[in-house]
Amino acid sequence: MLRKDVNDLLTRTGPDTAMGDLFRQYWMPALLAEELPENDCPPVRVKLMSERLVAFRDSEGRYGLIDEFCAHRGVSLWFGRNEEGGLRCPYHGWKYDYTGQCIEVPSEPEESGFCSKIKLKNYPLIKVGDILWTHMGDPENRPPKPEWEFATVPPEQTFTSKRWQECNWLQAMEGGIDSSHVSWLHSGALVSDPLFKGARGNKYNQGDKRPFFEVVEADGGLFIGARRNAEDGKYYWRITPWVMPSFTMIPPRGDHPVHGHFWVPIDDENCWAWSFDYHPVRALSRDERKAMQDGYGVHVKYTPGSYRPLANKDNDYLMDRAAQRRGETYSGVEGIAMQDASLQESMGPIVDRTKENLVSTDNGIIMARHRLRKAVVALRDKGETPPGVDPAHHKVRSASVVLPPDQAFVDACKEDLTVRPGVKQSSV
Amino acid sequence: MNTPTLLSSCARAATAEEARYRIDYPNSRARSSRIVALDDEAAAIMRRIEDDVWGDAHFLTFRARNPAPGIEALSIDATLARPDGGETRLSAELAGADVVVMIASSGAGIDAAAAVGNACFVRNIMTAGLIVSRDRTDPDVERAVGALRPYAAVLVIAADEEFVPAMLHALRA
Repeated sequence: MLRKDVNDLLTRTGPDTAMGDLFRQYWMPALLAEELPENDCPPVRVKLMSERLVAFRDSEGRYGLIDEFCAHRGVSLWFGRNEEGGLRCPYHGWKYDYTGQCIEVPSEPEESGFCSKIKLKNYPLIKVGDILWTHMGDPENRPPKPEWEFATVPPEQTFTSKRWQECNWLQAMEGGIDSSHVSWLHSGALVSDPLFKGARGNKYNQGDKRPFFEVVEADGGLFIGARRNAEDGKYYWRITPWVMPSFTMIPPRGDHPVHGHFWVPIDDENCWAWSFDYHPVRALSRDERKAMQDGYGVHVKYTPGSYRPLANKDNDYLMDRAAQRRGETYSGVEGIAMQDASLQESMGPIVDRTKENLVSTDNGIIMARHRLRKAVVALRDKGETPPGVDPAHHKVRSASVVLPPDQAFVDACKEDLTVRPGVKQSSV
Repeated sequence: MNTPTLLSSCARAATAEEARYRIDYPNSRARSSRIVALDDEAAAIMRRIEDDVWGDAHFLTFRARNPAPGIEALSIDATLARPDGGETRLSAELAGADVVVMIASSGAGIDAAAAVGNACFVRNIMTAGLIVSRDRTDPDVERAVGALRPYAAVLVIAADEEFVPAMLHALRA
């Protein structure tokens, strides 16, 4: 249960909101690099944290992320012509460079310098890995570039997709740290999904549907350990890191690539679920990459020409009750990502947390909310930089291990939970 | 049966407009929670939040285990202290309890954790362990973790005591 005022505090991310200010401390994924594939390619509409923007790549390959609307008459620059070093409004020819600076107002004498007085709001856009990242906060406090392992391994070792999720970011993110649902909602996928099946750890998942949990604070966020029984009195641990504000990783299975997510607010009722798969030490196989492109694992099949899932709320997520009865899926929805998204969207655009009845095993979620709230208040009242901004906090890994019963995962797995270049993930 | 049962039904059901029609009623009865401080510092933390508004929560401090007659190692009950200083028995407190939250700040409460944890285990009562310490690497904390792990379905190590009321309110204590 969460009071309404706290729920509002954590879920509202627009400009001049406390949580919005928190998100604006970080480099966040804005676009896939494939969305701006070449110089002078078509511009792309972007909405992030309730701000309407347009992204483009100019003739010299510089990325721009600027206010979507022309300063003249408010026309959307998505209609703009991206050419000769800038984005030109097709209405009256006003032209902007990648910083949002107006560089031409054709109706005014060039000598007047009028255009120098016009500047659209802009944010930086940098490429790290397959992603274009932006920082929408104070340029004076711009943090170092992101150093997440999935984005910094060689390109052949990583794959990233994004999908539109039609609900608030927080309820989507909370699914990413809720390990106990896996044995239920995704039970079908553990035996059928090419990016999940076959791992020894799956049988522990399926054999013990009442895991024990340990929640431990980390510098950047949390480690949430889910403990299930293994052989010989040992425990099978699945350890999920959460790094503030919205980065989560799924504990690995066998030698499958490691998956994870970023949950990025589009506005208060929509978010981007960024989904990645990478292997720390080897290239993804052709079959693995194809499975990801085909929407297996944490990825989805798309509605053609968009990043909206093919199964979405307009078609009842292609609910298949027959497959549910046959035991192929637990909820009747196909695919791990949409099994999560369908349920999270069903909660409503922003779930009313005053009505929920959390139980002890929801303590990962409770602690994440607590830490978010603390960080929001500390930033608002004292200007304190929140956890997760420091790139050192990005260097985390998930892990799945079998440990003797007397060992605390956080001590026994210190190295397993840290990025070690050239060292394979710890996985069962 | 592969087609949606009603065109766009999820699309409509998940809107903010439809959320207005969710039935507004108390969907749970008060949870009977027992909050047990296992050591002195944990008791001090607990005392600072006892006067908040709570549901059916009993705030208790572990005093002593009550061994079986002639078998010192076997606890059959324990003595707990109420906020007013009066004493109560663990067995009486567990009757009707939905959840027991054990709070510790050090390893001093190993015996207490075993006594409370075992009593909950045999009664099939959900348990949570909460260790409050700024320094997770403190050997005392490790002892506390080791003491609670066998008995707590969920174990949380929190750096600040503000988490205690946050957790209890979240659980509708």
